[in-house]
Amino acid sequence: MSASLRRLLKELQNTQREPSGEIASLAPVDDNNLLKWRAVLRGPRDSPYEGGWFELRIDIPEQYPIQPPTLVFVTPVCHPNVHFETGEICLDILRTQWSPAWTLASTCLAVQVLLANPEPSSPLNCDAANLLRCGDVVGYNSLVRLYTRLYAQSLTTDLH
Amino acid sequence: MTDMDVDTPPHDSGAAAPVVPKPVSKPAPKPAQSGTATGQATCPRIEIKKWNAVALWSWDMESDVCAICRNNNMELCIECQADQDAKVNNNCSIAWGICNHAFHFHCISRWLKNRNSCPLDNREWDYQKYGN
Repeated sequence: MSASLRRLLKELQNTQREPSGEIASLAPVDDNNLLKWRAVLRGPRDSPYEGGWFELRIDIPEQYPIQPPTLVFVTPVCHPNVHFETGEICLDILRTQWSPAWTLASTCLAVQVLLANPEPSSPLNCDAANLLRCGDVVGYNSLVRLYTRLYAQSLTTDLH
Repeated sequence: MTDMDVDTPPHDSGAAAPVVPKPVSKPAPKPAQSGTATGQATCPRIEIKKWNAVALWSWDMESDVCAICRNNNMELCIECQADQDAKVNNNCSIAWGICNHAFHFHCISRWLKNRNSCPLDNREWDYQKYGN
């Protein structure tokens, strides 16, 4: 078993031991492949994502944790730093600022924090970013709430 | 120990050197008699019958788990753990950066090929010490 798989096994044991409130679920898609995980994030409280459940697909490279995992939203998300169609996430720690001290759980937490703290200066969704850039927080919040209600609320049933 | 009003057998009180009180079970009748003879000062309040010393130690490091492989720094790194009989295991030691963060030497050198920064504080990496 390679070093990356052994570390992933440790992470799996840790996430099972210490479940987090923000991450509703984090586990490999199937027991035979530790390089493909699935996560469900809770929409952050006091944000327009509150009440939503956001599914992520996590692909882990063979060189993990030297190389970062790839996290992609499966649930459509309206956010300046998330591509609406592909689910791609623009976050420095997933690319240039990656460090092997991050774990899958802490990386998911960073993505969850990004939801409530958009960075409109490096957008993947220009429409969402433009609303924030011209200061239309009310418009932005109601647009996000609309998409959250539209796409992110049906997950609750297949979680349990 | 010596501050306490310990019931010390007379033959013991003369020898100041031993810190460890001897079990008082054998000369039990003696102290009672000597106590009454010399007055109230030697009246036993606490009688130590047995004591065990417990010591703890830890390494003077911020974290004892290698943040890269998540194995304890005292153990082999996750690579060396897999092939226990490999010769490289002899060199599986700990390396400290100038930031005082410690990792397995194997782990940090693998990471440094990627980016020359400390995985924990992102500062530029320089070795401070290496080995045990």
